[in-house]
Amino acid sequence: MLFNTIHFFVFLAVVLVLFYLSPRPFRRYLLLVASYYFYGTWNYHFIPLLLTLTAIDYTAGIWLEKTRTPGRRKAVLIGSLSANLAFLGFFKYYNFLAANLALLMGKPPHSFFLSIVLPLGISFHTFQSMSYVIDVYRGQQKAVRDPIDYALFICFFPQLVAGPIVRARNFFHDLFQWQPPSADDISRGMFLLVLGLTKKVAFADQFAKVANAYFGNVAGNPGALTAWSGVCAFGLQIYFDFSGYTDMAIGMAKLLGFHFPINFRRPYLAQSITDFWRRWHISLSTWLRDYLYIPLGGNRHGEWMTYRNLMITMLLGGLWHGASWNFLIWGGYQGLLLSIERPFRGKGGEPGWNGLSAFRVVLTFGLAMIGWVFFRAADLHQSAMVISQMFSGTAGHMLLQPWHLELAFLSLIIALGEEFRDWSEKLIAAPVPVYAFSLALMLFCTEIFGAIDASIPFIYFQF
Amino acid sequence: MKPVSAGPTTYLSSRSGKICAAVFACLAAFGLDALLFRSGLYTSILDPDSSTGQFELILRREQKAQAGGARNLVATVGNSRMAFSPKTLDRQGLSKQYELRAAGIAGSNARVWYYMLRDLDPTRRRYRAVVIALDDYDDEDRAGDPADDIAELHYVIARLRLSDVWTFAHSFDDPKLVRQALRDTILKGLVFQQDVRAFLADPLHRFEYVELCDQGYAGWTYDFLETTKNLAGLRIDWSNLEVTFPPGTDDEQRATVKSFLAHTPDLQTGRLAAYRRLWLGRIVDLYQGSDTKIILLRLPRGPIPRPDSLAVKSKGATRQLARRPNVLLADEHAFDSVEHPEFFKDGMHLNREGIDRFSVLLEKEVARLLGPPDRNVAVK
Repeated sequence: MLFNTIHFFVFLAVVLVLFYLSPRPFRRYLLLVASYYFYGTWNYHFIPLLLTLTAIDYTAGIWLEKTRTPGRRKAVLIGSLSANLAFLGFFKYYNFLAANLALLMGKPPHSFFLSIVLPLGISFHTFQSMSYVIDVYRGQQKAVRDPIDYALFICFFPQLVAGPIVRARNFFHDLFQWQPPSADDISRGMFLLVLGLTKKVAFADQFAKVANAYFGNVAGNPGALTAWSGVCAFGLQIYFDFSGYTDMAIGMAKLLGFHFPINFRRPYLAQSITDFWRRWHISLSTWLRDYLYIPLGGNRHGEWMTYRNLMITMLLGGLWHGASWNFLIWGGYQGLLLSIERPFRGKGGEPGWNGLSAFRVVLTFGLAMIGWVFFRAADLHQSAMVISQMFSGTAGHMLLQPWHLELAFLSLIIALGEEFRDWSEKLIAAPVPVYAFSLALMLFCTEIFGAIDASIPFIYFQF
Repeated sequence: MKPVSAGPTTYLSSRSGKICAAVFACLAAFGLDALLFRSGLYTSILDPDSSTGQFELILRREQKAQAGGARNLVATVGNSRMAFSPKTLDRQGLSKQYELRAAGIAGSNARVWYYMLRDLDPTRRRYRAVVIALDDYDDEDRAGDPADDIAELHYVIARLRLSDVWTFAHSFDDPKLVRQALRDTILKGLVFQQDVRAFLADPLHRFEYVELCDQGYAGWTYDFLETTKNLAGLRIDWSNLEVTFPPGTDDEQRATVKSFLAHTPDLQTGRLAAYRRLWLGRIVDLYQGSDTKIILLRLPRGPIPRPDSLAVKSKGATRQLARRPNVLLADEHAFDSVEHPEFFKDGMHLNREGIDRFSVLLEKEVARLLGPPDRNVAVK
C-alpha cells in the first residue's frame, strides 16, 4: 500500500475517523491493528518477524531496567543488539557476503545464494528498536511496561517502512501524554501531507522516468550532458521521493497527535558536504552520530581518530542503505569528502550566505550528484561507465525536457523562499483562504504534473 | 469584552476551521481544473496535432463554415476512411445541391461522433442531414471491444460536461477503464497533462502554431490532394487468405491489406452491435423531432471486398436503427464501383482517383435520399 495511492488515502481516512470516534483507551489498540494491517498488505509473512524483534527488544528493555549488575546489563544489551543485527544481517547482507565469499573461493557468485526477500522497512525499525534498547541501557529512557505501547512504537504505520527514525523518548512522550492535535498541528499535518504527495507524484516520479530511462541503458546514452542530466534527474528524484514520503509521514502523524522530527531541510542548498548531512535524512545522520560516531570516540581523541570515526560511520551508513559495494563506496565517498572538508571548516559552523555561497552550493550539489551515481547504478561497472561519461564523454544530449527544468527551477525558487523567508511556515499560519489556496495549488500541480499511472515505488522502501 | 472579530477569527483558526480549509482546498483545486479545462480557456491553445487538438480544430472549422448563411449543409462523420473531395464536387457542379462538410476524424468511432455532433449542432437544425459512414451494416466484430477504446476519451475530453461523467464512463465495459474515465472526466487536467507540459516547454511556439492552424486548417484539409499510389494487381485467395501483392507494395500497404481484409474472422459476440446500438442510437435520439435526416452509409469495403461468407454477422443494430423515423439507409451497393485496387492507396483507404469517384457517388446518393435541396434553408 503506497502512500500515493487511493487505497492508502481510504485507509488513512478510515483510521482517522475510527481513531477519533473510539474511546481514548482503545485508540492505541486501533493504531496497532491498523499498523499491522498496513504492514500485512505488503507481505503478511513478515509480521511474525516484526513481532519477534518487538518481543526481544521489549524484554531486553525490561531486563535492563531490572538488572543492576553492569556485566549482566552489558550482556543483555549485547544480546539484544546481536539479535537485531543478526536479523538485519541475514535478510540484508547474507547474499552480499555469500557472493563475495564465493568469489574469494573462486566459485560462481550465486554458489551460496539463498532466495531471501527483504522484509519491508527492516533497516528503519531495527535502528529504531536498537536506539530504544541503548537509551534504556544508558538510563536515558525508562523501559516501557506495556507491550502494546512498545509494539506501537516499532510498527506505527506512518514511519514503519521508511522513517523518519523516531527516538523512543519523543514517541512515548506523545503516546503517554497524548493531546488532541491543535489547530496548528492540523494545519501543518494537512499541509505536509499534500506537500509530500505533490513532491512524490508531481516531481519525484517525473524525474524518475528520466533517471530510470538513463540508468536502464547507460551504454546507449553516451555523452557528458546525457550523463549529468540522467544523474541530476536521479538526484532530484531521490530528494523529492524521500522528502515527500517523510513529509507525508510527519503530516499524518500530526493528524494523529504525534510529532515526528524533521528529516530534510533543503539539502541541495547546502554549502558543504557537512552542511548537506545536516540537511539530508537528518533522523539517520543524527542516529549515526549518537549511536555510532560518538560511541566510537567522535572527535575527542585527536585528528586521526576523528577521521577514522568519520570514515567508519559513513561506511556503515552507506552499508545501511544496501548490501553492495556501490553503497559501501558511496558511504566511503561521503566520509572522504567530510574528512577533506574538515581542516578547512571554521569552528563557528556553516558560513552565512555571502558572495561565495552560490559557488559553494553548486559545488556541493555537483559532489552530491557524483555520489548518487554509486547509489543508483546497478553495479560498480555501471558506476564507472557513468562517471567516465560525466567527465570524459562526448557532449551527448539533454535528457531533461524543458518542463523538467521548469519544475526544477520552480522548486529552487520555493527552496530559496523557504531558506530565507520561511514560506511554508508563513503559509501554514496564513489566513484560511490563503492557506486553503496554497493546498489547492499543490493539488492542482499534482494533477497536472503527477505521474498518475506510473506507480513508481518510494526509493527508500527497498531499504 | 471580546473584540468584534473574535467569533469568525476563532472559528477559522480552530481545528474544524482547518478541516474546512482542507475541504475548501479540494474544491478549489477542482475549481482551478474547471477554470482552465472546462471554460474553453485551455482548449483554445491545445496542440493542434494532438487527438483533442484535432477534434477541436475540426469542430471550430465546421462551426465557422456554418456561419456562411443560407446553404444546404450536410455534415459527414466517420473515420479516416470517410474521405471525399469538395474540389471534385466543385468541378462536377454537384456541390451546388448540397454542401458536404467533413466532421469526421481519423481513428474515431460513433462515441466520438456523438459528442462532435452534439456541440457542432446544438440547435439540431444546422444541417439538412448528417451522414454517418460505417464499414458495414452488419456490425461485424473485429478484434477488441470498441466500447473499451480509451483513445476516444482523448478526442472528446474537452467536450465532456459534468453531466456526461457518469454516462460516458459507464459506456466502457472494462471496470478499470470505467474508473479511469470517471477520474479523468472529473479531473480533466489528468488527460491534458502531456499537452500542458509541451505547452510549458515552449509557450510562444504553441501560440504561433495554434494561430497558424486556425487560419490555415480549412484550406489544408479541404484542398488536400491524396496520393495517387494504388494497389493495381492485388489478388486475394479467400480460401486460404493468401495475398498476392503487386510489385513495389510497401509495408504500410501490406499491413493494411492483411489487417483489414485478409484476416481470419474474429470472434462474433455482438460487441460492435451493442456499441453502435448505444452510440448511433444516441445520435439518432439527438435528432429526434428535428428536420435533420440521419443517413447511414456503407463505405467502399476495400480494394477487394471481403466475401460475406467469411464471418457470421449479427445483422443487428445498424439495420434496426435504419427503421427509426428520420433515419435513412444508403444503398448498400452505391459504391461498389469504387471497390477496385486501382482506387485504393492501401488496404483500407481510397487514393486520389478513388476519392474523386467516391465524392461524386456520395453526392448523388445523398441527393437521391434527401431529394432536391431546399433553397430557403438558413443556418440557425
